[in-house]
Amino acid sequence: MMQYAWLIPLMPLLSFILLLLLGKKLKEASAYVGIWLTAVPLVMSFIVFFGQWGGESYKAEGTWLTIGHAVITFGIEINPLNSLMLVIVSLVSFLVHLYSKGYMNGDERVPVFFAYLGLFTFAMLGLVMSPNLLQLYMFWELVGLGSFLLIGYYYFKPEARQAAKKAFIMTRIGDVGLFIGMILLFWQVGSFEFDDIFKAVASHEMTHAMITLTAILIFVGAIGKSGQLPLHTWLPDAMEGPTPVSALIHAATMVAAGVYLVATMYPLFAASTAALTTVAVVGGVTAIFAASIGLMQKDIKRVLAYSTVSQLGYMMLALGSGGYVAGVFHLTTHAFFKALLFLAAGSVIHAVHTQDIEKMGGLYRKLKRTGPLFLIGALAISGFPLLSGFFSKDQILAATYEDGRFGLFWLAIIAAFFTAFYMFRLFFMVFTGEFRGAAKEVHESPGVMTFPMIVLGILAVLAGYVNTSWFGTFLSDYLGKGEVAPLASNHEPIWISVVATLVSLLGIFMAYLIYKKGSLSRDWLSRHLPSLSSVVYNKYYIDEVYHAVIVRGVRAFSYGWSLIDRYIVEGIVNGAVALVHWLAKLGSKCQNGQVQTYGAVAFVGLVLLLLIFAVSGGYFS
Amino acid sequence: MELETIRSYDWGIMAPELIILGAATILSLADLLMPKKASRRYLAIFAFLGVACALVALFMQLDNGVISILADTYRFDSFSKAFKLLFLIGTGLILLLAFDDRKGERDEYRGEFYYLLLTALLGAMMMASSADMITLFVGLELLSLSSYIMAGLRKRDRQSNEAAFKYVVNGGISTAITLFGMSYIFGLTGETNLYAIQNALGDPTILQNQFLLVFAFLITFVGLSFKIATVPFQMWAPDVYHGAPIPVTAFLSVVSKAAGFVIMIRFLLVTFIAAPGVAEKPLLQEVQPYLAILAGASMIIGNLIALRQRNIKRMFAYSSIAQAGYILVPFAVISGLMFEAVWFYLLAYLFMNIGVFAIIQLVTAKSGSTDISSFAGLYRRSPWIAVCMTIFVLSLAGFPATAGFIGKFGIFMSALSTGAHYWLAGIMIATTVVSYFYYFNVIGQMFFRSEEEAGKVSIPGGVLTVTAVCVISTLVLGILPHTALEFFYNQFDLSQFFTPTK
Repeated sequence: MMQYAWLIPLMPLLSFILLLLLGKKLKEASAYVGIWLTAVPLVMSFIVFFGQWGGESYKAEGTWLTIGHAVITFGIEINPLNSLMLVIVSLVSFLVHLYSKGYMNGDERVPVFFAYLGLFTFAMLGLVMSPNLLQLYMFWELVGLGSFLLIGYYYFKPEARQAAKKAFIMTRIGDVGLFIGMILLFWQVGSFEFDDIFKAVASHEMTHAMITLTAILIFVGAIGKSGQLPLHTWLPDAMEGPTPVSALIHAATMVAAGVYLVATMYPLFAASTAALTTVAVVGGVTAIFAASIGLMQKDIKRVLAYSTVSQLGYMMLALGSGGYVAGVFHLTTHAFFKALLFLAAGSVIHAVHTQDIEKMGGLYRKLKRTGPLFLIGALAISGFPLLSGFFSKDQILAATYEDGRFGLFWLAIIAAFFTAFYMFRLFFMVFTGEFRGAAKEVHESPGVMTFPMIVLGILAVLAGYVNTSWFGTFLSDYLGKGEVAPLASNHEPIWISVVATLVSLLGIFMAYLIYKKGSLSRDWLSRHLPSLSSVVYNKYYIDEVYHAVIVRGVRAFSYGWSLIDRYIVEGIVNGAVALVHWLAKLGSKCQNGQVQTYGAVAFVGLVLLLLIFAVSGGYFS
Repeated sequence: MELETIRSYDWGIMAPELIILGAATILSLADLLMPKKASRRYLAIFAFLGVACALVALFMQLDNGVISILADTYRFDSFSKAFKLLFLIGTGLILLLAFDDRKGERDEYRGEFYYLLLTALLGAMMMASSADMITLFVGLELLSLSSYIMAGLRKRDRQSNEAAFKYVVNGGISTAITLFGMSYIFGLTGETNLYAIQNALGDPTILQNQFLLVFAFLITFVGLSFKIATVPFQMWAPDVYHGAPIPVTAFLSVVSKAAGFVIMIRFLLVTFIAAPGVAEKPLLQEVQPYLAILAGASMIIGNLIALRQRNIKRMFAYSSIAQAGYILVPFAVISGLMFEAVWFYLLAYLFMNIGVFAIIQLVTAKSGSTDISSFAGLYRRSPWIAVCMTIFVLSLAGFPATAGFIGKFGIFMSALSTGAHYWLAGIMIATTVVSYFYYFNVIGQMFFRSEEEAGKVSIPGGVLTVTAVCVISTLVLGILPHTALEFFYNQFDLSQFFTPTK
């Protein structure tokens, strides 16, 4: 099977080409081309994944070009990490294709949409199968192009155009780091192959400073792609794209590519404590930063976008703390439950035609399947016991704690509280209470949309059991088989689980009190929780406390961060842009059309050159 | 000189040049003798056939070693054949473009354009195949003078006139500067043969005049930088590119620019390779920072000012300044990868830039305006043309899977191969990111805007051929770059470059 693995990315590429050529004739039927040509790679990915279980890593490559004496190859590699990624990418892509069949129904540019999806899926699958950095980089850019096209799909909206451009250029800034890091590694090692790089690292061919430098440069690429601080602002804006695209690209796959990059290059990172610390700190700060901003957003997709940024921060935190398996584990579970949440959000938007949560409410009764599925996703991401997010988040916390990063550990705990809170704020505001919107008739989405959500719902519940300390550590064993993956220990202190669970339950409960309580009878508290009600003597008093401490505190905190986000982070970015524009203006002013100016510029330039040379060369001394 | 000696030379090796010369002569006579009203459009086909024959002749000579005629005034070696190949392909494509340019209009100067293009090509070819200061200069002037007239070919068009005027004046200044620099070199060595100069400059007695020598290098470099339109001689390019007819702009930005690099590399590297600098270092190492600054400034100025352009021709004029800055990088750092990096980039640049101008010609002819808004909604009007344009623009921006990426990659590798040129590489990458803004503006117009005017853009045969060739080459060179690189490694032995003819 492995020798046919190269066909996996080519199927979606075929879909892209076919739809580009025949899209106008196929019209609505284009969806079937896309769906079938992602279903086949899905099956193949599963075969590769299970084949990998018992077998060895597989690698096939040929010479691609020679530069000087260096031979650069092109090919595919199958190892435990990337066969897992193959399954995630092809599965989510297939489900999103299916879902889009319903969601995009009636849009006259459906063929273009599926063509772009095919291009993206091709690039993403190619990315994870790359055996060397250069090839990875090329697909990395191509993935960005796919994302650009899909974010700008609703090109008639100026925001969508802006967002598409922003996404592409912001991630490009990160890619500068990746590119320089890659070329530096090449000149150090003489090869782009992952294996050769790791060998050079292991045999101390590279100096420690160089390892740190290249690792951090590569991490800069990951920061851009995975929306980490300070290059995260493109990701919330990218929500201008169609919702299935947000689920596929901006939740499950492309944004996880940064995490995948760090995981793939892990031996390089592991060789430098400074690099690991950078990864951990950036990840941890991003996790709490984005989560706190998510608390106050009013747009359902933006909440999920900030949540994605925050969860990616968690993964980075895990990797930076030596929790290789924990990071990859969370990547997997997150792909499922976040894709589920996005698709469910899409289903809600499909039903009520707005993204403003203030205009929703009471949808649980009307959307009989979307409601429970969204609840499952929300519980999973909040770390509700026995759902997938619970296990993976637990292991991240454990890894951080064991690594001795106590500050980051507590930040992550607080972020977990925020996560539970904003998710259930979302849930209660959208699905409970009275409907506040304008739409008259609200219908559940068709089966073609709910089916993918059901599959993801099942996975969001069960995916956690691939790696638990008391059920079986399949994932660790699987990933540990590859030579590169250091194992995370499995004996985490039990109190971490307890604290994490309590914190997330507290978050859910707070959200309940604040956003749901008004719709229930007043003595709900005293009836259901008599002991608590006796402690909490006066409900007005509680409200005051909640309001003062939680709501205001949280709001102030969130507001503070969003101020920093708006004025400092964006300020720096905007400042750089303004500087560029100012220089450009200055430059074009010199171009005044006067031919004597042009000649003068050349003369002055020449004289300056000669003068500087004469002075610095010592002609006058 | 004995008749015998003259007859003993292998004149057949000049076949490509002689074919072009013959074709230009026949064209000029035909143009003269044809009835005034007759359409001269089909003379382009004859010119194209001439270029094709020259290309075939060149291919048949590929296996020859170094052949020198009249003390290197004509020198056939790996360097000359590698770059003549580029000139011929580029000019051939531009002739096809010109064939379809303004074809409905009566244009009595059309014939002139075709043979002037051929004489310009002849000049460029001589610049590639000479190792003597005098014939190099004659080639340079032949190219320049032909280009001046071509820029002003539309006699009744004000912009075209302005372009020609500015081009002539600036060109005159640059020629003066170049000759001034060359006169120092001649004065210091008393030689015109490049290898004789090389030899003389390696002599320790030259140390008495070490400052003069570096000055001579810098003056000549600045003079020659006019042709490649880099800082400080870049100001003319936007105005001239803007005003000149589009096939001429394409020629100036591709073939003429490549010829500029060729003479720069040939003349400056061969003569100064052994020359001493002011400090203990060799001269070429000493001037590196200056060349690197000029390259960096070209990238910055070109890419920054391009951001503000609304006129598509001006935008690509600035883009070509920046592109020349990139190509200058391997020369500035004098890395071992220089020849292949420059050659490959020029090859890639040839296809992507001619492709861009082919599509600009189509689209602006349809809309009658060279404002960027002519491209609005192109994807819905003519999806294939939009897709081709996207590929060219992505390639210019250095996006993976296109020729431009491999080209930039090669340049970048060469910049970091010789040590501490991090800042130059950094500028290159940073300005590349800036360039994404304006390149994506074009893509944004085509895909993300509604059309301001309806109507499909029809694509005539000549332009169709050019676009197809350019798209295929851009993609093939991007996906399978070894096809070109292997050809280069197999056919071209650049050790011939520095050693004199025996």
